[in-house]
Amino acid sequence: MSQTDTTETRANRTDSQPVSTTAGETVEETRTEWTTYEAAGETKLAVDALDVHYGADHALKGVSMDIPEESVTALIGPSGCGKSTFLRCLNRMNDRIRAADVDGRVELDGENIYQDGIDLVELRKRIGMVFQSPNPFPKSIRENVSYGPRKHGDIQTGLLARLTGREESDREETLVERSLERAALWDEVSDRLDDNALGLSGGQQQRLCIARCLAVDPEVILMDEPASALDPIATSKIEDLIEDLAEDYTVVVVTHSMQQAARVSDQTAVFLTGGELVEYDDTEKIFENPESQRVEDYISGKFG
Amino acid sequence: MSRATQTALVRDDRTLYEAVAGLAVGCSGVAFLTGLAALLDLLSIDDLVAGLELSVVLGVVVLGLGVSVVGFGLTSRLGYVETEAQPSAGLVASAAFTGIWVAIGMAISGVAGLPTAGQLGIGAILGAAAFATTALPREDIGSTLPAGVVAGFCGLALVSGVVGPGLEQGLAGYNATLFGDTVVPAVVLLASLVTGWSAANAYGGFGARGRNIAAYVLIYLVVGSILAVLVGLVAFVTAKGLPGLFNGFGVGGAGLLRWPFLTNGAGLLADTAGVFPALLGTVWLVIGAVLFAVPTGVGAAVFLSEYAEEGRFTGAVEVATNGLWSTPSIVFGLFGAAFLIPRFGNQKSLIAGMLTLGFMLLPLVLITSREAILAVPDEYRDASAALGVSKWQTIRSVVLPAAIPGVTTGVILGVGRIAGETAPILLTMGGGVLPAKSAAPNVLGGFQLSASPPFVSNPALLEATSALPYQLYALITAGLSGNIQNPQEYAWGLALTLLLVVLVFYAIGITTRYYFRRKLHQ
Amino acid sequence: MVLVSMGSLLAAFVGFLLASPWTAIPLAGFLVATGYGWVRHQALLARAVTFAMTTVTLLTLGLIVVFIFAESIPAFRYETVTVFGVSVPGLGMFVQPRWDAVSEPVRYSLLPMIHGTVMVTTIATLVAAPLGVAAALFIAEIAPPRVRELVKPGIEILAGIPSIVYGFIGFTVINPWASDAFALNGGSTYLFVGMVVGLMALPTVVSVAEDALTSVPDVMKNGSLALGATDWQSMTSITLPAAFSGVSAAVLLGVGRAIGETMAATVMLAGVPRISEPLVNVFYGYETLTSLIARGYGSANGVHESALFAAGVVLFITVLCLSLGSQYIEARMRHRLGGVE
Repeated sequence: MSQTDTTETRANRTDSQPVSTTAGETVEETRTEWTTYEAAGETKLAVDALDVHYGADHALKGVSMDIPEESVTALIGPSGCGKSTFLRCLNRMNDRIRAADVDGRVELDGENIYQDGIDLVELRKRIGMVFQSPNPFPKSIRENVSYGPRKHGDIQTGLLARLTGREESDREETLVERSLERAALWDEVSDRLDDNALGLSGGQQQRLCIARCLAVDPEVILMDEPASALDPIATSKIEDLIEDLAEDYTVVVVTHSMQQAARVSDQTAVFLTGGELVEYDDTEKIFENPESQRVEDYISGKFG
Repeated sequence: MSRATQTALVRDDRTLYEAVAGLAVGCSGVAFLTGLAALLDLLSIDDLVAGLELSVVLGVVVLGLGVSVVGFGLTSRLGYVETEAQPSAGLVASAAFTGIWVAIGMAISGVAGLPTAGQLGIGAILGAAAFATTALPREDIGSTLPAGVVAGFCGLALVSGVVGPGLEQGLAGYNATLFGDTVVPAVVLLASLVTGWSAANAYGGFGARGRNIAAYVLIYLVVGSILAVLVGLVAFVTAKGLPGLFNGFGVGGAGLLRWPFLTNGAGLLADTAGVFPALLGTVWLVIGAVLFAVPTGVGAAVFLSEYAEEGRFTGAVEVATNGLWSTPSIVFGLFGAAFLIPRFGNQKSLIAGMLTLGFMLLPLVLITSREAILAVPDEYRDASAALGVSKWQTIRSVVLPAAIPGVTTGVILGVGRIAGETAPILLTMGGGVLPAKSAAPNVLGGFQLSASPPFVSNPALLEATSALPYQLYALITAGLSGNIQNPQEYAWGLALTLLLVVLVFYAIGITTRYYFRRKLHQ
Repeated sequence: MVLVSMGSLLAAFVGFLLASPWTAIPLAGFLVATGYGWVRHQALLARAVTFAMTTVTLLTLGLIVVFIFAESIPAFRYETVTVFGVSVPGLGMFVQPRWDAVSEPVRYSLLPMIHGTVMVTTIATLVAAPLGVAAALFIAEIAPPRVRELVKPGIEILAGIPSIVYGFIGFTVINPWASDAFALNGGSTYLFVGMVVGLMALPTVVSVAEDALTSVPDVMKNGSLALGATDWQSMTSITLPAAFSGVSAAVLLGVGRAIGETMAATVMLAGVPRISEPLVNVFYGYETLTSLIARGYGSANGVHESALFAAGVVLFITVLCLSLGSQYIEARMRHRLGGVE
């Protein structure tokens, strides 16, 4: 994040148009060019005019963005600007909130996930989520990781499977090992897979949640401030993991730490108060030479 | 990462399959309700429907449902429709069907006259077969075939008349007989439950989603029946009690209303027998119990929440409170009889009843008051302390007022509970079966002071008095007969009065709790 | 002043205990002292008075135990049995099945009543436990908010219907119907009494289980849903196991409620202390511990009356154990979930 260029870039900016309001203040108008991003790869998730209302509160205002595959997209912005709301719309977890009203389209590989007849179970198999505070189940580490595939019927385990000779414990072991390795946790827990997951440290629990998510073999991984509840060392492990995961998965990370966004992401979307997407571009561009004055102010710490 | 096989996000179109499965669920529901109506004697199984006996018609329906359910399973298994069936129907379903088939096996072999060992043997064989059929094949067969066979079996039995209006099966050794009137509805209920579950499973396309829908169907059914029983009970008591309650009711006269059932006694002088003495007795009981239990309970709650340290003493009190809360009401009655009666004139008395009910009310008040006080946020207390206000002043001016809504609700609900209790007052109060109006307690006018011990007395409090629940019990044990015009109608009117008194308390309590919770969350 | 107030309260209590006619004096003294002290030493007095009120709970439980046990001693002594040369008082109540307070030989066995209570409670639990847990799951997890606002009070109202009203309906409607439907001698059955008692214990199970289910953190269920599990799977794999202790406590409390149910049983049962033949004959109902006491108290004297207290002792101990058991389970659950937080 370079501050030396500020005066230069402001001078060079010809298309930033101040707009007067009736109160006489100058408010900057968001230009569509700032939020239209030409992705390097294919678009995985295409969001079109997404609007979310919580009762009278207009939490997301007409957000449109294309998220490219196999990369890390960061969503940054001050508290309450709607970035978590946006994230939850991508796997329809917002459906759980009764007061939420969602309009618009979200396309996964070209299919609108908000159309009638969508199978939410299928959707969440393809779009996984990691939450802000680690939330492992009060079960063993092994059972946590294999939870998804077992519930989907992809792996047969349990008393009945054992009785009818159909138990697939080998497949389960392989899956658990692979997922834990990918989540950079295998070395630390390989000798205690039957221990209760709640006995792990915070950082380990979060990596377990990531392993659990990976075991389902998703295409997209949504992360809602995954490291905010962790100490710096655990945080850096998670950040390394995010960069590694981007080789095979589309990762969308909400973070309140601009440094984190600058470190791990390929492209960054800036949301500002009121649920508005203000600018969306390559991470370098956002942090070194943003088009919008408001984004520049936010990044340089003038507010938010 | 590209994926070789992708399952579509949008469910495959199986609208026809879903529609038929949904229809099957609906049919099962109708069959279930019909069976229930027949069980409750609202319908008779030999009523004629289109020339056939109802039991035969139900047999045809059940048979049809069984066939259709197997059809759903086969359609899915043979690939005509794509579903999300998993490799097995699961442990719970397997266990349930095993249980059902063991029961069927034992019932049939019992009827056929086999000894217990034979019954168990047949049951075990059928159970094992059911387990294999449910657990081993793919889920779409496993959750439909056993269900279909149960329904088919029941249907055939009904259609062929083997189980029908003429059934008379004596239960050797039990001194009881099973008649068609009870067995036919029971069979219909079982079969329709099973096919309903299975069809719901098919509707959801088997797999996790199908099981979800099937489980929801059962749960909605359970909750629906519970509520139906509740509504039925209240409606039944109301219907039977209204004639008695409003006997002689009229507008006008000395007061604005003439309501003899509530204002008269049941003595020989009354033209319309009423429940006034019992009603007044209940009122005084409640007043007495509240006067004892509320200050004590709230005071104890204040001490436990505000003054006491967590330790052996508070732990002991909590154990004691919970123990008192679950103590049976008859034990309270025994205690009242053993402890209070000797100390209040060695006879059954109103005050003994008041105190016994007070002891019962105490844990209820304590527990709810404690919750209400603990719910007051610490910020209030901290703010008050920061202003230099003493602890007791804080409790008095900040905590207690904030806790009053919760305490009030708890007291109202507690009063509703004790107003309907019979056992405690049975042993401590007594009173007559059909008391005349003169027997109604005159508590306020009865206080007397004297210069010698015991210094204060009140004959009204020391008398055996009736109360609503007690009078109903006394009437029942007297065989619903007595020196009044229509004892049955009177008894139902009494029951309705008691029910109304209790329900009014509950309704007020629930509404105040709702109201206060709404205010808190705003 | 506080000492005077508390002292006179204590004196009043002792006076009451001893059934002394002079009790009114210390009681008046307590009121006067408290009134006076309220003006001057309010804070200290308030603390003392509330402490006194707290001890009332302990005192009540203690007095119940003392008096019930004391009254039952004569019966225990009457039914003393010698085993291996050691006299065990009260054993006679549990080793032979004859209860007859009138004709010789007069025996007071609690076995028929214990059998009756077991029969009724078993059937009641079979009704209340599965239905109650299902209803609790419905209220806590499945129902939309508006439906929940209707169902929850509905079930509370079910708890409010007085037991004598249930008994009245059973006596006038159910018993005659049962007698007809099964060709019985008389209509009193453990089966239907059990079902009625189960209906009465149901709300207890529902409210405690529902509390346990709602106390499981939402985050866990969200985690399960985000992995693509269905609502039902999340409920049965995550929420229910996490709340298992609370749900077990709920069932235990329901069982306790069923055991203690008096009036419905008293009114619906035949009232002849007998053990069913065969043992599991649900088509005939005789007497439970509670109905024995309720029915017999008016006319009982001496050892007979004492035997009723003995039945009360058995009831009290059983329900107390169940209550302690469920409190222990709930404490362990709080400890475990607290570890999660």
